[in-house]
Amino acid sequence: MPRVLTFKVNIETGNQGPNETVNFCFNGHKMPFDNVIGSNEPESIFEGGFDVNSYAHSLTLVGPEKGKWDIEKITVDYECEGEKPYVVKWGAVTLDEKTEVNIWQDPPVPSFDV
Amino acid sequence: MNFIKRFFTGMKEKDSVSGPAEVENTPSEPNATSASQPAAPEPATTNENFSDAPPAPRTVLHAPVLKENLFPESSEEILIKAQPSATGDQCLFTVNRVLMNNCSWYFDSFESAAESALAEALFSLDDVETVLVCESTVTVTRKDKTLVDWAPLAKEVGAAIRGVLKEGNVLIAEKIISSIPSEETIREGIQKVIDEEVNPGVAGHGGQINLLDVKGNSVTIQMGGGCQGCSAADLTLKQGIHTSFRKAVPQVGAIFDETDHTAGLNPYFS
Repeated sequence: MPRVLTFKVNIETGNQGPNETVNFCFNGHKMPFDNVIGSNEPESIFEGGFDVNSYAHSLTLVGPEKGKWDIEKITVDYECEGEKPYVVKWGAVTLDEKTEVNIWQDPPVPSFDV
Repeated sequence: MNFIKRFFTGMKEKDSVSGPAEVENTPSEPNATSASQPAAPEPATTNENFSDAPPAPRTVLHAPVLKENLFPESSEEILIKAQPSATGDQCLFTVNRVLMNNCSWYFDSFESAAESALAEALFSLDDVETVLVCESTVTVTRKDKTLVDWAPLAKEVGAAIRGVLKEGNVLIAEKIISSIPSEETIREGIQKVIDEEVNPGVAGHGGQINLLDVKGNSVTIQMGGGCQGCSAADLTLKQGIHTSFRKAVPQVGAIFDETDHTAGLNPYFS
């Protein structure tokens, strides 16, 4: 598993959004995002990030404490130690008070043309 | 402040508030209570006063990953990308052509490749051990497990695939395509071997295997319980589960594992 230096998220909210603090869970520890721009109100874009400097076992976006959160798209930019920066995009998902969604993916395995 | 600093700062703050009370109520020191100190409360009371109980675990969902096209859509040239696995034992070749439509086939020897031009061409290369053709991909394992650099063999494989496609021969033998049973037959056979052979075997480690999906003759499984997050999961999958599946249902093609080994509440070894 790589050491994550920092990651940034861009979350596009659909029709339903709780407009509350957005938290993530890194290796089971729930934290709010730093450098927040925007919100998770309906039809809004939320941006945030975190300087992690730790090895990633798991990384999830935590659902709202109350209500539902319709997410249309999640884009995560990762910077990991010894790896080129990479971006992963996820499609639609709906979160609530009982769910979280995985936003971790290992650095891509190198590929080449043959 | 980075993650570690913030986490440990939180721990210290928590200790400074709740530390002394926890020492007083430590059940392992029942004789430490003196006449001047209040009697130690019942453990149940202590638990009620402990305000930092972990929240109920949430279910981890998996949103679909949006993949960008590997190749330009308009290209008429045969394009092939090679992607060696992290373990180095196999290499995935993705082609901008359909090689098998809605099904897959596993070739374990040169003999099994008879009349299948694609597999025959690949087995004619010295170091190719097995070939799995699925939709627009070919997965090759090599005989020499000590070699890490796939580049030389990958170029030969790429040239072989390109050559066969240009010749326009039958890629996969008709007898193979016609021998593929229905999804229901595949599902019944795989579920039977999971119930009767695989799951009893992994139950000793608290593990279990679930059949998630059957598409054509390709199956998708998920490892749960003690298998999820286990360091030997890859070995169990390739040397145990694959072998059992192919022995019980020889027509099974690709076997996909959709286990998230970074999640789970009770991994056997994380």
